[in-house]
Amino acid sequence: MPTVVQDRYAEVKARFQQLFEAQQIQLNGHASHPYHQFRKEAMKRLEGLNFPTRRDEEWKYTSVNRVLQPEYQLETPVEVKAAQLQPFLIDGLDAIRLVFVNGAFREELSDIGKLPEGLTVMELDNALADERFGEMVQRQLDSLMEGQEDPFMVLNAAFARHGLFIHVARNTVVEKPVYLIHLAAPGEVPTFSSYLNIAFAEQSSEASFIEGLFELPGAEGAYFNNLVNRFRLKPNSHIHHYRLQQEGREGFLISNADIEQDGDSTYSSYAVDLGGRLVRNNLATTLNNQGTGTNFYGTYFAKGEQHIDNHTFIDHAMPHCQSNELYKGILTDKAHGVFNGKVLVRRDAQKTNAFQQNSSLVLSDKAQMDSKPQLEIFADDVRCSHGATIGQLDETAVFYLRSRGLSDEQARAMLQHAFLEEVIEFMKLEPVKDFAEQLIMKKFEE
Amino acid sequence: MLTIKNLKVSIEDKEILKGIDLEVKAGEVHAIMGPNGSGKSTLASVLAGREEYEVTDGSVEYQGEDLFEMEVDERAQAGIFLAFQYPVEIPGVSTSNFLKSTVNAVRKAQGKEELNAVQMLKLIREKIKMVGMNESLLQRSLNEGFSGGEKKRSEMLQMALLEPKLAILDETDSGLDIDALRIVADAVNQLRSEDRSFIIVTHYQRLLDYIVPDHVHVLYNGRIVKSGDKNLALELEEKGYDWLKKEAGSVPA
Repeated sequence: MPTVVQDRYAEVKARFQQLFEAQQIQLNGHASHPYHQFRKEAMKRLEGLNFPTRRDEEWKYTSVNRVLQPEYQLETPVEVKAAQLQPFLIDGLDAIRLVFVNGAFREELSDIGKLPEGLTVMELDNALADERFGEMVQRQLDSLMEGQEDPFMVLNAAFARHGLFIHVARNTVVEKPVYLIHLAAPGEVPTFSSYLNIAFAEQSSEASFIEGLFELPGAEGAYFNNLVNRFRLKPNSHIHHYRLQQEGREGFLISNADIEQDGDSTYSSYAVDLGGRLVRNNLATTLNNQGTGTNFYGTYFAKGEQHIDNHTFIDHAMPHCQSNELYKGILTDKAHGVFNGKVLVRRDAQKTNAFQQNSSLVLSDKAQMDSKPQLEIFADDVRCSHGATIGQLDETAVFYLRSRGLSDEQARAMLQHAFLEEVIEFMKLEPVKDFAEQLIMKKFEE
Repeated sequence: MLTIKNLKVSIEDKEILKGIDLEVKAGEVHAIMGPNGSGKSTLASVLAGREEYEVTDGSVEYQGEDLFEMEVDERAQAGIFLAFQYPVEIPGVSTSNFLKSTVNAVRKAQGKEELNAVQMLKLIREKIKMVGMNESLLQRSLNEGFSGGEKKRSEMLQMALLEPKLAILDETDSGLDIDALRIVADAVNQLRSEDRSFIIVTHYQRLLDYIVPDHVHVLYNGRIVKSGDKNLALELEEKGYDWLKKEAGSVPA
């Protein structure tokens, strides 16, 4: 009965409202800051929105009930020692490291050093008040909220306190990648953390961002991370976005990446989803002009009762653009995977090349995969393909490997690893690739 | 080395092998010939441990042990190698990683010390030269997109690395041009030794111009209908299989 559902969410919304007000009291004199105004408006907007139910086509296979039930508290300060970061540092990677714990930026754990020329990293509220960037940031925030009906996006806008603004100047190639570590440190009370990052790549610039989503070793408990990344790519700019996700056993993650690309720009996403109790990733790009490239490469590996849902959307609005999408994953035990990839080729988007593939290995009777590749084409001169496969390991390959002396277990592990490897291979940064492989190896051993 | 007695094998209730007897001693090379559908590949597959075949009667002893009690990987670890007629393409597994894993898996099972990266590289380089394979294939996914000849070289490389006691070549020569055929033959000839045996299953006599077998058996309709020395192969080349089919047909079952 819809009314009951609405009532329940009304209660959830009221709880978020209370949290917001409690936070507001702590702001003292900052209440008039433009960033706070933005957040207040977002909170107001939330009132008019409903959290999705499984009746919504976009949420058919993922229920957010579990995510919204706990009575969350906002980030509580947690002591984290530098040594505890050790497992998340990437061997051989010289990066600008920014560390967040439960949503709060932690300068003492970060390693920013001297930023390369042309790269600016600021906290969002400072950026918004900044003479040079203020207007630009405001425009990005506005475009995030314009017509926004996703309650999680709006919720994020209302609660993200320590978001970052990252700016890459014109004609700047930033060799040193930016590594954002989001560490969850849950405790007895369920925590709710929000991050909002805005990256702006000016014309002919290039940069790599690595996002690491982890749980503090030894920590345990329920938490909800609500994450939004906005990437704005100006003409001929190139962004590589790596996302390594190993949230905790009781972690809920809803992440939105909103990308807007100008002509001749390339955005590449390399995502590895291994952790979390329930994970929903929305990755969406809009192509403003000709000659763009968009690469969505994703892997997922879920065990136990994990639920990992990837929704992607590529909006081909202009001609001569190319998109490649490959998502591959493994599901075992009672895990549930969801893939919904929509590619829209609008009438003007002639000469579009769009490729999309989702392949999953479902390795137990109780594991489940729902895959929905969607291709909608309104232009007539395009090359597009999409497909989905769901299957088990190739037994002839298992036999072949065993006939060379590998045990059944070794053979299967090798093939599963190879299955994901095809996607990992696309990663450009070798140390990140190696690190991702290590994370996957550990997942096999779990 | 290998003793096959009255082996009967079915697949989906159809009897393919109807009583095979074969004795392979250490150091011997046996060629198994016969027309298509005679059961040659079934014999090779059963020895390697394919599960879709049902052994309905008879026994196979390998080095005094019941072969059918051994799992596929145990057979490999005990020194049985099957060169596949159609090597499987395995995307995502690099040839070099695969080779390292198998060599060490077999060494470990045989109680030998595993090779480190340097020793492994040296060994692989040495053997890759022997089979004339292009080193760049090591970085590629196993067999993926390999040409027919490259696949067979890859099989021979694996054989050379694993140093089996009993190697079974299942129509390894089919579809090969003369250069690739020589590669296969050279690999076998170089690996021939007093304590290593080969069973070479082939449809064509041509391979036996390069590998001289000690024994030749003709398989027809699930039975060995004739055995002899290398001259039998030449006779087959000259006369085809028809005279044997007639001969076999006249023998009451």
